[in-house]
Amino acid sequence: MTDILDVIVTRKSIRRFKPDPVPEEMIDKVLEAARWAPTGENYQPWRFIVIRDQETRNKIGDLAKLGSGSRMTAWYCLGHMQERFMKIEDPAKRASVLEFMYSGRVSEFAKTSPVVIAVLGSLKEGSVDVPYDLSAAIENILLEAHSLGLGGCWVHGPVASSRDAVKFKKILNIPTAMSEYKVIAYIAIGWALEQRKHPRPKLPLEELVFWEEFGKTTRPKLPLEELVYYESFDEKGKA
Amino acid sequence: MDTLAYYNDLMARMEELFFHELSDCAGWKTEFIGVDFIQSAAVQGDSRDELIRNSLQAMVDAGLIRGAAFAVAGHDILLTLKVRGCQHMRKEVKLKARGIKLYNCIIANMLNDQLIEKLGYTTTYVAAIDADEDDGLCQVKVAIYETPEKIGCVSDWSEECRKIDEEDRWIRVGA
Repeated sequence: MTDILDVIVTRKSIRRFKPDPVPEEMIDKVLEAARWAPTGENYQPWRFIVIRDQETRNKIGDLAKLGSGSRMTAWYCLGHMQERFMKIEDPAKRASVLEFMYSGRVSEFAKTSPVVIAVLGSLKEGSVDVPYDLSAAIENILLEAHSLGLGGCWVHGPVASSRDAVKFKKILNIPTAMSEYKVIAYIAIGWALEQRKHPRPKLPLEELVFWEEFGKTTRPKLPLEELVYYESFDEKGKA
Repeated sequence: MDTLAYYNDLMARMEELFFHELSDCAGWKTEFIGVDFIQSAAVQGDSRDELIRNSLQAMVDAGLIRGAAFAVAGHDILLTLKVRGCQHMRKEVKLKARGIKLYNCIIANMLNDQLIEKLGYTTTYVAAIDADEDDGLCQVKVAIYETPEKIGCVSDWSEECRKIDEEDRWIRVGA
């Protein structure tokens, strides 16, 4: 079986796209990848809405911009975002990046991505842990898109608040009752216009992994008696 | 039986669980909590300040809070709110004791609902909540956006709050 680690580690979030259309067979393949994601009880709660209509994408982009912008404007005014972006040393560049964030423009790229896939899950009888299943499906979509040479980005912004989720559902004619479907995100897909630096910094495994129990950062060593034989080899555990 | 304590304890448990599921996103999901009361109160108000004042007065009249003061500043985006004697203080105190950042101010949710439903505000966001059991005072900062163009109009909210205090621009309701 082929190791897909190269696909995983070279994927990056793409937010700027060429206007070129995405071939139908590629859309089919990313949807097929989503369909094979792991799912509790094999419930398969996911439903996908593929959107290419410009007017609909504009509405989604506007909603995402408002959602992200409303939160980030407040965070900026409270001084929280400035701290987060201090790592950008050039003050002019830092100010520009911050403005891009708190204006909400960071999230409005549904308008320029040729394909948007809305991801929603059925909450009807038998559904369990729907957001986790949907997240697995989204990752499959992003990896398959990347393996096909496409770029993509997962956006929670337009459905993050309860009111915005209702607006999002109305745009796409999804039943609005909270008992029926949960919208979790949209994914923008298209041909990348940008060449983002890669890899982005990731925390080293040593900071993420514990061995045997929480907090133990050292990989346990096998005891000597399981490694050393005297005089002749003697397979343990066998009669 | 102290029914107020009982129901606040239930709410604290629910909010604790909700935070555990969603961490800092939890507050983005709770904006409808409390709207049933304020929507049933048939509050009137043609302007922002009038609607906020009348909504707070309805809460005082119903015994949900003892009093409040509010001011709007920072390009008309910052709604800063002081609430005294809120019936939900016990919930906030329990959450703080369990190490959970407060995220669901029911009073702010009601004001936001009225601004959106009656004056057509584009969106709102509860940005910061603090509750002081000793003083019986909650202080809340809310971002209110009348139009989409208001998104991104930034200012220093610490400075805005300092000026509000200095110039005593608070509009007071109740005790």
